[in-house]
Amino acid sequence: MHNEQFNNRNVSESYFLVDIEDYPTDGWGRFKRVVKRTFRGELFVGLWVVLREMIKFDIHTIQYPQEKMPIGPRYRAVHEMKRLWESGTERCIGCGLCEKICISDCIRIDTKIDENSRKEVSEYSINLGRCIFCGYCAEVCPELAITHGGRYENASEQREHFVMFEDMLTPIDALKAGKQLEFEGFGAITPHEDERVKKTPLSY
Amino acid sequence: MEKLIHFTIDGISVEAKKGETILTVARKNDIYIPTMCYISKTTPCASCRMCVVEVKGVEGFVLSCNTPPVEGIEITTNTKELENERTNIMKLYDVNHPLECGVCDKSGECDHPLECGVCDKSGECDLQNKTLEFGVSQQNFSARDQARKIEHWGLINYDPSLCILCEKCVHVCNEVIGDDAIEVKFGGYSSTIIPKNSDTLDCTFCGECIAVCPVGALVSSDFKYSANAWELSRVPATCAHCSGGCSLEYETRHVGINGNASIYRVKNNFEFSSLCGAGRFGFDFDNHALRDEHAFLLAIKAIQSAKAIRFSSMITNEETHILQLLKEKLGIKLFNEDARVYQEFMKAYSSISGKKHHSGSLDAIKLSDAAIIIGSRIATDNPAVRYALTTAAKHNGAKVVYAHPIEDALIQNTVTQFMKYEVGTEEGVMALLANAILKDADLSQEERAFFDALDLGYLEAESNIGHEEISLMMHSFARAKNRVLIIGNDLIAHERALNIAKLSALIEKYSDFSLVIVPNEVNTLGVSLIADLDKDEDIIDVVGYNAKGNFIISSLKFANLAVASLNQQEGTFVSIDNRVLPTNVAVAFNGYTLNELASACGIVSQNSIDYTTKLNKNSGFKNIGFDFLENFLSPHGDDNRGYLLDEVTCKMNGAIESVEDLPEFNGTVIYHSNPVLQFNAYTNIAKQLEKDNALRGSAQFAAAAKISDGDRIEIQFGSKMIAREFKLDSTLKGTIALNPVFDDVVDASRYKFEKSKIMRVSHE
Repeated sequence: MHNEQFNNRNVSESYFLVDIEDYPTDGWGRFKRVVKRTFRGELFVGLWVVLREMIKFDIHTIQYPQEKMPIGPRYRAVHEMKRLWESGTERCIGCGLCEKICISDCIRIDTKIDENSRKEVSEYSINLGRCIFCGYCAEVCPELAITHGGRYENASEQREHFVMFEDMLTPIDALKAGKQLEFEGFGAITPHEDERVKKTPLSY
Repeated sequence: MEKLIHFTIDGISVEAKKGETILTVARKNDIYIPTMCYISKTTPCASCRMCVVEVKGVEGFVLSCNTPPVEGIEITTNTKELENERTNIMKLYDVNHPLECGVCDKSGECDHPLECGVCDKSGECDLQNKTLEFGVSQQNFSARDQARKIEHWGLINYDPSLCILCEKCVHVCNEVIGDDAIEVKFGGYSSTIIPKNSDTLDCTFCGECIAVCPVGALVSSDFKYSANAWELSRVPATCAHCSGGCSLEYETRHVGINGNASIYRVKNNFEFSSLCGAGRFGFDFDNHALRDEHAFLLAIKAIQSAKAIRFSSMITNEETHILQLLKEKLGIKLFNEDARVYQEFMKAYSSISGKKHHSGSLDAIKLSDAAIIIGSRIATDNPAVRYALTTAAKHNGAKVVYAHPIEDALIQNTVTQFMKYEVGTEEGVMALLANAILKDADLSQEERAFFDALDLGYLEAESNIGHEEISLMMHSFARAKNRVLIIGNDLIAHERALNIAKLSALIEKYSDFSLVIVPNEVNTLGVSLIADLDKDEDIIDVVGYNAKGNFIISSLKFANLAVASLNQQEGTFVSIDNRVLPTNVAVAFNGYTLNELASACGIVSQNSIDYTTKLNKNSGFKNIGFDFLENFLSPHGDDNRGYLLDEVTCKMNGAIESVEDLPEFNGTVIYHSNPVLQFNAYTNIAKQLEKDNALRGSAQFAAAAKISDGDRIEIQFGSKMIAREFKLDSTLKGTIALNPVFDDVVDASRYKFEKSKIMRVSHE
């Protein structure tokens, strides 16, 4: 491989200087420029383009908020809390790593022991007003419980509206209807992981 | 001079004293040998086999934890084979260990739990740390997993599937605490820890097993899953429940999502020190009262017009100093009977011994091989002394003589000779002991005359201590090198306390016994060294500071002005070791402090701790500021907490008096004694501690008092009448019942035996 194309740092070959008029230096010159710019027909050029496209009836504008663009799986919008497919229980085990790693310190979690001697999350709160959507919490989560969803609209009358664990948790009816979308973004397991995972000696 | 053993570890030449093992020497020289089951304060468990080392010329591996070195050997701690052996041990430990690190309470005690793999900061879970240390990333061993039930033992939860059978808990329970309540149920892979001779755990719930557990198998049921280790901030402090002055760390965190800081748990340096259950579980006695300006103004008025201030010994040295300044400025009296009787006792002691402080300490008890404990139900009065005695008995084979009118089942395992004397005859008992101990001592003429004049026959008959008992004791002590005499509150609060003090001073002065005089409350000793106390009078216009009075300033309920509890204050205590120990603020307090009150009365200071340097120098306090007091044990277990009081010499102008006629206590006698884990009104409000305030007595007592189990009764003694429930206690014998005082119905400083009248109110 030749490195000539990288070594040639002479940029002037494909570059050219834009022909810009000199700036006016005196008051008369500035006055002339204002008059010239004011009475040029550029406004009508723009209006003509809009009118032309309108008459064609071939509009590509997304009718937001009625219509929304599909969003990539790696997009980091408001968090979602996932459930286990088999049992429907919350995936969150309350380890508190998301709280610990959060660089804007907006996650608080409170846990307790439940009647089955297991750790139970009693309260979970994300202050989306502080959240910078960095995605660390989703990345650190050992259970793939907290992920980022595609819900990017954060407008509300009160910031408190967006910090409820229950709001982020997959509704149980949505899970039962098989509508929980598995996160495919960063930190998610790769597809067909089952076939590639090594067996442990305990698999008898 | 003891002979030293010279040998080398990893090429470094080291020396060992007799009794030291390879591991202890290595640790002393900062040579790292990994262990899982080793704990400094017990004998080696030798169950983990991680501490193996190689000795040149010896085939196979040697366990460094229980092998003493011999002259000239060459030890290697780190070879490929050793590494391999240790890694395999770790792999075996990891077999079927539930992958619960995410929720386990022991997981990741460091600032960056995500970097455990590269972090060298010690984690809380030994298993997690060592697994990462040895890089165990795959499992070559397997075993069929078993269903194991999580056990709920009151304050303690046990999860057998997390347990790695290191046996630390069993060793500590048996050798240091003395409860001997748990044991290993051997059964190969299905081995577990089980309560000894019982279906459920029946012990004093010191929680030491929780502290030493290297994994999350034994945990506090209250703390479990409530917080992660890395969220808790640690506040080094001193326990505020008894005079043992145990070091502890309050661990605090915000409550829930937006709550204020609160204490979540208490931890201690379990490697070298111990903590009883009151310290470990009775931490939530902080005062949540709000600032009340009106009450503050009333309090100032009350203090300025008061004739006296009555206060309890649950107080810091600095606040005592403030009270003393108030006394000097306002010309009022200071009442604190508990500290006053201690002060009087120590004064009489000093007048013979010529020094201000008793010579013994908890460490002296731990190292002793002969101990007499007299006049205290020590297991509940001061667990720190009990643990020290247990350590001495188990590790040095110490002979422990327990002299008391009531037997105590809790220290049955420790005590080698129970010496039962009649209630009230403490002076006679002390005279008999002193007579036996000082038989061949070089006494002065008057002192010899005192012993010659003793009517031994009368004393023996009245106190019910036979000649054989004393000679048995002397016989068993004959070969002892480190002897200690422990004096309890029954002697300090006794009518003839002054003469008893002089007798104990004689024993200390003329024999090799060291002496420990157990203070009754947290800072009884400190108060007695700082305040100039007056004899309590039943007058009006008394301001009570954490005590009874016409105007009560208290950190408990029913206060006219609320002040901070001891876990909300900084200051110092003086412990049983004559050590000045700092304590810190674990939880913030919003209200007023005594210092603000004093400042309003003209004794101005920015903080209470400004007085730390001004404490009574005549009592041995040093000129060291609070902020310069350390509060930690070194990695080798050296005590770096606070400072020891300076020795103060006193005039030896006391003379021993002849023994008075011994009193008799007939009929139904009660003994003011708290149940396990209860000490005072503060332990009484701790959520986790059991609060059983029933009068407990034997079947014999029940028959004598004509009451039966479950009866509601009224107890009358002196001018007092209290209502209690009666409970039969099969561990008790004799005709003395135990009456708890932690719920503050009885002044705990009085002589604890009481002639009483018991009436049945209703039968259940």
